[in-house]
Amino acid sequence: MSLKSLTKDWEPMSYGFLDASAKREIRRKTLKAIAVPGCQMPYASREVPMARGWGTGGLQISCTLINLQTTVKVIDQGADDSVNAASIRRFLSRVSGAPTTMDTLKADLIQSRHRIPEEKLREDQVLVLQVPNPEPLRPVQPNMSIARQMHADADYGRMWLQLYEQIVRSGRVMQGASYPSLVHGRFVMTPSPIPRWDVSKMHMAKHLTILSAGREKRLHAVPPYTRVEPLVFDDVPYQVEEHQDLTCARSGAKGFFMNEIPQDDGSSTYEVSDSEFGVKTIRKGDGEPVEIGATWYHAGEMTQ
Amino acid sequence: MGAHPTPSDFEARTNATYDALMWALSRPGLPRDLPSAGQSGIIETLIDRECAVYCEDPAMAEIAARTGAAMAPPEDADHLFLSQPPARLAGLRQGSDMYPEGGATLVIPTRFGSGRHLGLTGPGVGGQVLCRLPDIPHSFWADRARVMRYPMGFEIFLIDGAQVIGIPRTTVVEVL
Repeated sequence: MSLKSLTKDWEPMSYGFLDASAKREIRRKTLKAIAVPGCQMPYASREVPMARGWGTGGLQISCTLINLQTTVKVIDQGADDSVNAASIRRFLSRVSGAPTTMDTLKADLIQSRHRIPEEKLREDQVLVLQVPNPEPLRPVQPNMSIARQMHADADYGRMWLQLYEQIVRSGRVMQGASYPSLVHGRFVMTPSPIPRWDVSKMHMAKHLTILSAGREKRLHAVPPYTRVEPLVFDDVPYQVEEHQDLTCARSGAKGFFMNEIPQDDGSSTYEVSDSEFGVKTIRKGDGEPVEIGATWYHAGEMTQ
Repeated sequence: MGAHPTPSDFEARTNATYDALMWALSRPGLPRDLPSAGQSGIIETLIDRECAVYCEDPAMAEIAARTGAAMAPPEDADHLFLSQPPARLAGLRQGSDMYPEGGATLVIPTRFGSGRHLGLTGPGVGGQVLCRLPDIPHSFWADRARVMRYPMGFEIFLIDGAQVIGIPRTTVVEVL
């Protein structure tokens, strides 16, 4: 053993920003997360040049996976062009030289905040979701040590009670985003604050989903072809947002998840939340040769 | 876009190795290509001084020791680089119900593609995947099913040259 073998050549910056030891730790934890779907794995969550809570968890996963051949897409609440998405995309490209895209079909790695694209993801794609609060039990058990014991015991009675109380009080389940879901019949996870519309897209999906919370220092994963079942009572069916009959005012797309845009006269118009899907629909309408992939929803109905 | 850092050989190798390992574990039973043959690539991808490692092959033990990892007996190791399937599975680390990630990772060299079919089902498998692993005794799969109680368990990477198959604890292996 020589001094030379213990050192490495000087580099101005590690490739992909994170240093090798940070990447190894994330690799080990991600492998275990894939092996135990939906179970939250603690990890170190290193510093990245972005404030905690702005997607640092997802960013660390992306930095670990990225290479010169990885085409990256970043979305924030469905939009490729919001400040958060554009900043993360530019950062990932700068630290790795990876090509970027807005097209879901061309992406290898999709980092997303709070949406799953409307076009179906393939077997070779990785979806990285940014998670603000990885603990689905937090509303019913704020103590995270006790919550971990509840996960260990599969003790989800309080979770069910919370849903029951919402139905009794309000006539329906009031949980809008991050709908608690049972993964592989064992762990209840939060699917990150995606709308109820998107939760069914995870069930037996072809792609790999990695969910990472940088501030809370925990990650979990949903491998392909894994059961993800929103918690529902047998006699109260799972309901998605009622966007089936809404039409996008700009692209004319119908039956997808919409953003509501309030108007001066008190009414609302809608535009499709998946911005690039809307753009592609408009361009196709203009006669351009655009490829639009198969969508999860057809005419507002989920298809499997 | 301005200049970006270029990946060193080490970075490119470990990135590709991890990509293969991640997809191998995500799609049990489907072989993935590693950038190099053998266990040393997996050691440099996953192992550092935070790990407790058991290596059967002294050459691998030397490579693992260079990463700063602690050497441990099989029952205490979180990563085991073996020369053949272990005779006893009951003593391996399986984590706990509270911390399932404490389960071990086994890396076993073997051969793919002849002998009886194994039927794999579970997360990552659409329907059923068939694979053939002639050198793994059938009693190994029976023992594995007997000693593991989900969510506790261990993961297995089987390598044949520069190919890897992942068997996570969720996979149900049936000898057909």
